[in-house]
Amino acid sequence: MRNKAMLIVAAFVIAAASLPLFAGPYFLSVFNTIFVYMSLALTWDIMLRTGQLSYGTAGLFGLGAYASALLVAKAGLNPLVSIAAGGAFAGLLAFFLGFGVLRLRKIYFSITTLALTTVFSVIIRNLPRLTGGASGTVLPRALFNGDPGKNYWMIYCLALAVIAISVWLSKSKTHYAINAIRNDEITARSSGIDVFKYLLFIFVLTSTIQGVIGAFYAQQYAFVQPEATFSMNFLLLPLAMALVGGVYSTIGPVVGAVLLGLVSEYLKLIMPYGHLIVYGIIIVLVVLFMPQGITRAFAKLFTRKMQVGGVDSASLRD
Amino acid sequence: MLAAASKKQYLFIALLVIAAIVIGFWEPHALIYGIQRGSLYAVIALPLALILGILGVLNLAHGEFLTVGMYATFVLFSRFGVDPMLSTVPVTLLLAVVGVAVYLLTIKHVLKAGHLSQLLITFGISLVISELIKSIYTTQPRGVFTTYSYSSTTLAGIRFGTYEFLYLLIAVAVLVGLQLFLKKTRLGQATFAVGQNPRGASIVGINVSFVYLFVFGLSIAIVGLASVFMVPRVSIFPGAGTPYTMKSFALTAMAGLGNLNGILLAGIALGIFEAVVNAIPGGSGWSDVVFFGVLILVIMTRAIREGRR
Amino acid sequence: MKKISLASVLLLIAALMLSSVSLAAEPIKFGAVNPLGDITGFQTTRAMELAVKEINEAGGLLGRPVELIVVDDEMRPEIGAAAIDRLATVDNVDFFVGGMGSGVHLAQVPALKKYEKITVWMGAASHQVEIAMGPDADWYFHLHPWDYQQGASYGQGWTDIANAHPEIGASRIFLAYEEGAFGTDSYLAYLDLYEAAKDGEGPYGQILNDFAGASFTSALLGGGDYRAMLRQAMDFDPDLFIWAGYDADAVPMVAQAMELGFEPPLFVGAPPGWPANFGDNPLSDGVILYGMWAPALKEVSEISNHFWNEYIKMHGHEPATYFAPLGYTNIMFLAEAIKAAGTLEKDAVIEALRTIEYESPIGAVLKIEPSNIISNQGFTSQKILQYIDGEQHVIWPFEYATSEIKYPFGR
Repeated sequence: MRNKAMLIVAAFVIAAASLPLFAGPYFLSVFNTIFVYMSLALTWDIMLRTGQLSYGTAGLFGLGAYASALLVAKAGLNPLVSIAAGGAFAGLLAFFLGFGVLRLRKIYFSITTLALTTVFSVIIRNLPRLTGGASGTVLPRALFNGDPGKNYWMIYCLALAVIAISVWLSKSKTHYAINAIRNDEITARSSGIDVFKYLLFIFVLTSTIQGVIGAFYAQQYAFVQPEATFSMNFLLLPLAMALVGGVYSTIGPVVGAVLLGLVSEYLKLIMPYGHLIVYGIIIVLVVLFMPQGITRAFAKLFTRKMQVGGVDSASLRD
Repeated sequence: MLAAASKKQYLFIALLVIAAIVIGFWEPHALIYGIQRGSLYAVIALPLALILGILGVLNLAHGEFLTVGMYATFVLFSRFGVDPMLSTVPVTLLLAVVGVAVYLLTIKHVLKAGHLSQLLITFGISLVISELIKSIYTTQPRGVFTTYSYSSTTLAGIRFGTYEFLYLLIAVAVLVGLQLFLKKTRLGQATFAVGQNPRGASIVGINVSFVYLFVFGLSIAIVGLASVFMVPRVSIFPGAGTPYTMKSFALTAMAGLGNLNGILLAGIALGIFEAVVNAIPGGSGWSDVVFFGVLILVIMTRAIREGRR
Repeated sequence: MKKISLASVLLLIAALMLSSVSLAAEPIKFGAVNPLGDITGFQTTRAMELAVKEINEAGGLLGRPVELIVVDDEMRPEIGAAAIDRLATVDNVDFFVGGMGSGVHLAQVPALKKYEKITVWMGAASHQVEIAMGPDADWYFHLHPWDYQQGASYGQGWTDIANAHPEIGASRIFLAYEEGAFGTDSYLAYLDLYEAAKDGEGPYGQILNDFAGASFTSALLGGGDYRAMLRQAMDFDPDLFIWAGYDADAVPMVAQAMELGFEPPLFVGAPPGWPANFGDNPLSDGVILYGMWAPALKEVSEISNHFWNEYIKMHGHEPATYFAPLGYTNIMFLAEAIKAAGTLEKDAVIEALRTIEYESPIGAVLKIEPSNIISNQGFTSQKILQYIDGEQHVIWPFEYATSEIKYPFGR
């Protein structure tokens, strides 16, 4: 059973890796975007596993994007190095912010992370000498000169790394601490878990990833601009993807990102006008009929069938 | 606990009044604009806080309901020549019906599914509403123009618009009305109980699902009321209400969950801060930082103080 | 087994039939990326459809029909970039056209450079686009005036108007600009023009003495309270007040100015589009607007009149913004060049695009010239228009004027 699952996963990984060998640039471009949002959705979910509902993904994404773009434009840094630097910058800032923000819980944490996004973008807009102000900064060259295959492999590797981190977190000892914090913080504290330390670790980790993804996005399209780079889409779409797929898991955000990404492209193909209405209706219907997310709904269906067949399928549940 | 909260509130009111007097002398316009804008933010934030407080749902479609109210008022004006002020009753009722319908069709079914499902479903609803409006009315702004909404008066050498003081009036009226409802009526007391502890409320025989239905309908009706009074002064377009979702959320968090009075105070305080920054030449680009900076500061201070206790 | 073979035979036949049909008249494909959810992109697309219909009714180009393929960019940069990939590799278009927002277009630049297909882009006014495109892209044609060209062209306009009407002056200008990229870019452009004007140089050299600006949050982005900014403008007491924001700001801006008692002699709005029925608003009378086109042009230009009537006939609604005639121009200009080149060969079409002149419904002759960085820039000058008795009229350039200027603004 386990081996079979591993085989399926391996097949997926290899198939996705070899996509540039046979798929055209458009297909790669669509999946490129899917991986960007998938990575963000996973980081949002990882933070959520600690019980903290973050609305700050767009803010740290934007900071990473700006740090990387400015390092290339002003200091002539190598773009690939700058992507790492963008992540490091977002992570470092998250580390310091964490000492304040992570004292907050529930909606107070959410609104503060959201408010920080606005604060970042307004500060950047008001420092025109450094950042180019409202009209942004243009980079001399796009990453890999816009080569669709290389860009795809790059974001694919990044997304794989994020998936690996997510899986690792759900298997390691940290997992128990995180779950304990989410389920009952006071009990977790009294059983000796250093809640703040774990929260800070997760916050810095997810922020770093968001920064890296933002930096990649900026390098790939070779520009940053407050309105585009701090767009609320980088919060709302990952959030929707994780929830549609199923939260508190790795498979949920991954499936959610692929499904919603493909659905939105396909809808646009068959109905140029008004496709976003259908997109919204689909989201509403998913919540109504599969409130725990698509992956869990399918797992349940599968489990029931398996039980009828008399096979033990406890391994399928999370 | 309740007494302590209100004592703190009086202190806050006193501080606000002192600040208002100082600002009033230094830059009277900023004070006027701040009170007017802040009241508007508060009227819109109150229903969001109510839904969040009682149902536990953060309604991401809040601003879109506001947009629906604006278009309803616009249609009554452009098709039937109804003055916006006369649209108050029909649009408020219409939005109540819309609220009830949306509740019955969607929210009701995810109340047990957890707050994340509720968040996502309201995001889906917001998308459907705004895209639907786009496809019917395009993105080109519409407007309802009335001269009275821009009439002004001069007092002690200061010329200012009078219409927006209506926002203060409505904010106070809605707030007082809500407080009276929650304290003096049976349904209100039941609502309060549900907000405190829904399971306990249902054990003592309160019809929790009716309370939810009622609160959602009432809240959306208040949004409708606010939209009617906004219409004569704003452009109506598919995204007109959207920014108010975040502003309302900010006010609710600044006031603290369950503190309705605090929303009006927070609204006026933030409104004045914003107006003061805007009055400084070159300052207007920073007004959002001030708005959200103050918000973060208030939330952090409260968290630190509560942590110490 | 039988079923499968039957199906495959049918498919084969169908494929053969289709290919033989398409061999007979393989269409020339124009690929457009427009924001279909927005009024600008929606009407642009409609106007492009009109142009394509007219071309095909007249027998197509080089004996082949023209096919227009439009992809929605949803105003999201990554979606706009993917759309270029799709048009280039899935739809195999021959040319790229269309486009509005600069943010989306910046993200498309790497993809466009990858394919190097002839691109005739109609929107995206930010000078950042020009920087990103660079001087070497000889296949790239940009029709909309750049942000810096717009300010310059109005300087020329006011100089002409001041010469014709000595009572009208524009020596003190106040610019209210929305704080996003659109408004800020135009503010920066004005600052440069003001610096030049101090030495008596540039388009404002003869008229401008003093300049100031203040930003505001556009109603489109959650603002809409302009009173603090308007009071700064009042203190400055300008001859010419300009606001650079969006359509949603138009009515509240003029109404709040009235509320404050602010009545500059020239009250100018420079948004990319105007709200529906702005002319019906009593406050609109005398409001000056910067733009490329006005419906009233149909009275002085034959092609404008033709466009206006045919657009309404085909779609049942009036063109609301200049993006509609610009979209029509976008297609027609490219079609004229292909006709002139007599081939789809890249160098020949580029050469033709550079040499032909096209009389556009926008009320100007389109001719390619170099701009600051790129070598193929289309329109450079704008128009000064005014709402008079509920109608948009052209007041400058004088050769397209449909009315005299109404002066001063105020009630």
